[in-house]
Amino acid sequence: MAPPEDSSQPRLAMGCRWGAENKAGNEERMILFPEGAIKLQGTGRQVLERCDGQRTFAQIIAELQAQFGDADPAKIRADISQFLEQLRHKRIVDY
Amino acid sequence: MIPNPLALIAEITHRCPLHCVYCSNPLELAAVSAELSTEEWIDVFQQSGKLGMLHAHFTGGEPLARPDLTELIAGARAAGLYTNLITSGLGLVETRLQALIEAGLDHIQLSFQDSRENAANWIAGAKAHAHKVELSRIIRRHEIAFTVNLVIHRQNIDHLEEMIAFIEQLAPERMEIAHTQYYGWALKNRAALLPTRVQLDKAMEVVAAAERRLSGRIRVDFVVPDYYAQYPKACMGGWGRRLMLINPSGKVLPCHAAEVIPGLAFENVRKKTLESIWQESPSFQRFRGEEWMPEPCRSCERRTEDFGGCRCQALLLAGDATVTDPACSLAPAHHIVEAALAEANSNAAISQPVSASSFVQLQQGETLWSYRTNPE
Repeated sequence: MAPPEDSSQPRLAMGCRWGAENKAGNEERMILFPEGAIKLQGTGRQVLERCDGQRTFAQIIAELQAQFGDADPAKIRADISQFLEQLRHKRIVDY
Repeated sequence: MIPNPLALIAEITHRCPLHCVYCSNPLELAAVSAELSTEEWIDVFQQSGKLGMLHAHFTGGEPLARPDLTELIAGARAAGLYTNLITSGLGLVETRLQALIEAGLDHIQLSFQDSRENAANWIAGAKAHAHKVELSRIIRRHEIAFTVNLVIHRQNIDHLEEMIAFIEQLAPERMEIAHTQYYGWALKNRAALLPTRVQLDKAMEVVAAAERRLSGRIRVDFVVPDYYAQYPKACMGGWGRRLMLINPSGKVLPCHAAEVIPGLAFENVRKKTLESIWQESPSFQRFRGEEWMPEPCRSCERRTEDFGGCRCQALLLAGDATVTDPACSLAPAHHIVEAALAEANSNAAISQPVSASSFVQLQQGETLWSYRTNPE
């Protein structure tokens, strides 16, 4: 299995969807899938919320790099690539 | 404060058109006349959502045997639950599938008994295989997550590679290769189902290779046979920790087989709320946490991982629900599992599938195993 390419358009895999929004003040959100759920917050949540099947991997990276200007852009790219690859292995994300 | 349960297992009926010899349903099935009504189930889903549960797993028996399944799925979705249908596919045609999806069905898990039609029908005690293949093609044309489940055992494990290739061409998102769990009918038929060590080792290699090859395309989940494991499974994620099971007549159980445990009384959703049952019922409290644990569990560092294994299996094998699961290599009663394994490994014989034109014929001719029957 290959990591995402710049032109890939990551999206939630079939059968995976966001759970209900939490009450105000709670930053966590759930992704529900057939046999379980994962809690997401912080950057994980920000990445997944951008996996809408429209944005490309390159756009998602650029948006996160702009938001976290003081972090190493190469590291942001590598981290997000690995994160999406892991989620694809679990069939939570497709690209 | 006890953390809330995460998922509901809704055994909506014990009726089933299949008679699988590995069925884990209880030998005493709930009667049709005692089944909860549509309204009662919808109220259960509402309560489940409010309790913080995330998933509703619709199972049975065969959930499609309930004509109100579409309404039940819609009710569970309206309560905020992720809906999963665990089915044999018998009773499902494209129009009904469409209606279920429109009602909010998130995921369908279709069982197969084998890749070979003759063998599959022999294990299921019904001519079901051809319909399942046809249904898989229909499912794939729709926007719904699809898992294929295959239960493996002594009689089919030798051609696991062929069965995985068969599932691959059905193109699900996920395949679940599950060893038989020895409860209910499967325990009764254990001698015919328990694989040899040689069979198991080969199967583990086949699954690992498939997992690598299919990565990113089909997720492969493998349920290990606990008889051969060093440590027991964390049954239900721990008693009263994550799951509530409601049987067709509304009894609330901490696990599928819990009714076999003598001395435990189970509450019914017709009489009490799910929340009060979860928080206060003696049956859910009985094996929750660590207080009940005997040695060697009590001082074992794995007690927070496997919770002492399965209470029902302790009862079924050792005759005492309060002892360490005999599947654990550290259990005082582990010799019981070792004896079953010794018997399974004493020869490598498997049987030839029998074909018959009807279930009655199949059942009468059979000496290898007992087929699951149906409730009154």
